[in-house]
Amino acid sequence: MSGPASTTGKDIWQSAELAAQEINAQGGIFVKDLNKKIPITLVQGDDESTREGGIKAVSKLITQDNVDLLVGGYSSAVVSAHQSIVADNKVPYIISGGSSTSVSHRDDIDTSYMFFHRPNTDDSAKASILFIDEMVRPEIYKKFNLPDDRPLRLALIFQDSPFGKGQQGAVRNLTQDFNLPIEIVAEETFKMGESDFRTALTSVKAKKPDIIYAVTFLNELIPLTQQARRDVGLDTLILSIENNDDPDYYSGVGELGDYTLMESRFSPYAIPKGSTSERTKKFLEDFQTKYGGFAGMMGAATYESVYIAAKAIENAGTVQKDAVRKALSEISMDHMIEVMKDQVIRFSPDYQESSFDLYVEQMKMDPAVGEIRPHIVWPESIRETGFVIPDWYQPGSP
Amino acid sequence: MDLHIEIITQVLFWGLYTGCIYILLATGLNLIFGVMKIVNFAHGEFLMLGTYITFFLFVMSGFNPYVLLCASIPLLVVIGVIIERLCFRPILGTGKLNEIFVSIGLIYIIQNLVARIWTDEWKTIQSPFRDISVVLGVIQVPLDYLIIMAVTAILLIGLYIFLHHTWTGRAIRATSQDRKGAMLMGINVERMDMVTFGIGAALAGAAGTLWAVNGQVFNPYMGSIPAIKAFAIIILGGLGSIPGAIVGGLAVGLVENGTAFTLGGAWKDAVSFILLIIVLIIRPTGLFGEDSE
Repeated sequence: MSGPASTTGKDIWQSAELAAQEINAQGGIFVKDLNKKIPITLVQGDDESTREGGIKAVSKLITQDNVDLLVGGYSSAVVSAHQSIVADNKVPYIISGGSSTSVSHRDDIDTSYMFFHRPNTDDSAKASILFIDEMVRPEIYKKFNLPDDRPLRLALIFQDSPFGKGQQGAVRNLTQDFNLPIEIVAEETFKMGESDFRTALTSVKAKKPDIIYAVTFLNELIPLTQQARRDVGLDTLILSIENNDDPDYYSGVGELGDYTLMESRFSPYAIPKGSTSERTKKFLEDFQTKYGGFAGMMGAATYESVYIAAKAIENAGTVQKDAVRKALSEISMDHMIEVMKDQVIRFSPDYQESSFDLYVEQMKMDPAVGEIRPHIVWPESIRETGFVIPDWYQPGSP
Repeated sequence: MDLHIEIITQVLFWGLYTGCIYILLATGLNLIFGVMKIVNFAHGEFLMLGTYITFFLFVMSGFNPYVLLCASIPLLVVIGVIIERLCFRPILGTGKLNEIFVSIGLIYIIQNLVARIWTDEWKTIQSPFRDISVVLGVIQVPLDYLIIMAVTAILLIGLYIFLHHTWTGRAIRATSQDRKGAMLMGINVERMDMVTFGIGAALAGAAGTLWAVNGQVFNPYMGSIPAIKAFAIIILGGLGSIPGAIVGGLAVGLVENGTAFTLGGAWKDAVSFILLIIVLIIRPTGLFGEDSE
């Protein structure tokens, strides 16, 4: 709720509040042991956007506030620091952030009470790389008559954190494991919270990439995009990832975000067609009515997580932590506002991760609102419009 | 690695730009330290306040943000004077620990105050010149960066003229060199503290405006990291030395960008501090520091 990620914290809290109020309006959660419905009471823990703050907040929630279940957690670095406290105290924890596999696949602590309702870095990297291979590469090669045996030149620019390194490793592994015709020509790192990408982008420009894959937080993506296009003159495509799909990106990046690409799973402005679309619209409308703004991706995942928690307690028939943990591991409920694999929210038996259907958006300037707006371009099943190579685009060195 | 001349020139140019922001921030900090001998960890909050005041004036008036410096600089002077009078003067000379904790307290107070007024969501200011680029030898750069460098140079020249050619400026230098001697010469050193703190805050605020005006995002917590770098720069350049802050700021800007280009962005802070350690081993008083410091 405070520190550099405070905006995301507010999004998480408000979405949790909205879900709790909706459930409480129906009388709360029916608990068989008590033979009555009980309301959800939310208790706030502020990790101050730091590892130390997270440890303090989680310790307080568990030992002083005696919470039955934890929901939330943002940033792999912050979540990894307080996981051991959760493990020691055996409190069910639905983690809606912290996408690095180093958080969910760790074996140095007992993660059996932790459930990850977000795609991990492997999942989002896979969607991005598949999109590049299936759509970007053929379109560029067709437009510029490039030979088929030329590998696509990919530049990586990523945050020097478990989140960024997780994506870097996943991209490397994917291109190798699937033997994709993609060559990683540049790998540039930056520290979390960085605002000056000019030199890193100059270095990327020297490697002449066909596309840049940027693994950033929102406050990093806006200056990165602006500096790439305006300051360094990189006439290439930039593909970023889902955590940046936030109203602040659309208002902050300006016209320099035109034609940029984003892998996503929840957007304030693009609703995938299908069985979740009506509920997603309602969530966005309710959020706007209550808080006067748009919910972000973390808010959406937290909103769902509160419902998952409620369903698990109802299924368990008790708030006993071990029973709730078991109910979470067995949960199977219809997807809500984010599109899930097989349209069902469930956690995998190995690492207790839920599985999302991810998509890619391309940004187009909307003169009516004076901002860019996203349009789903991949996969085919939910595509709204075709992927476009802008006129100013220049492919990398042949 | 293809080390083309335009790439190297471009990296040097980014280093020069970064150096300009550091110079303004560190010069203000060094001026305050030179006169008052206080360690103000909240100096980065003046940078943040500068961005928010410019942002506020920009939203209210729609004026060119560079022109708004004419309003934000005097406002920062006033804020600096108020903070010096209310927070630092009462504890001046009571021990370094008091100064440190007052300045740390100020960080939280200013951050929360700004978050309360303007919220803690990310904000941006767009320069009216954002679409204009100019060719500079082998590179093409946005006009904004040249304006930022020019404004930095104007502010530094203005500061030099003020310190060397006005009575108040000479009194500030005298207070910096020998506080007791200045008092014996009839200089009101407390007034000099006040003026110096105001100027220092204004320089940091100008750095904030110039940093934000080319499309950077900012929120109330943006000031802490630049403040740490400003401290490293003034130690590198020599405590209390304005030329030291200028050379130190430029050196750190160039080294950071050179490191980001050669070793990667994750290394740039580490290498800057390695430079600081090397300089301190060879010359413990910093590049321009005097033994008495």
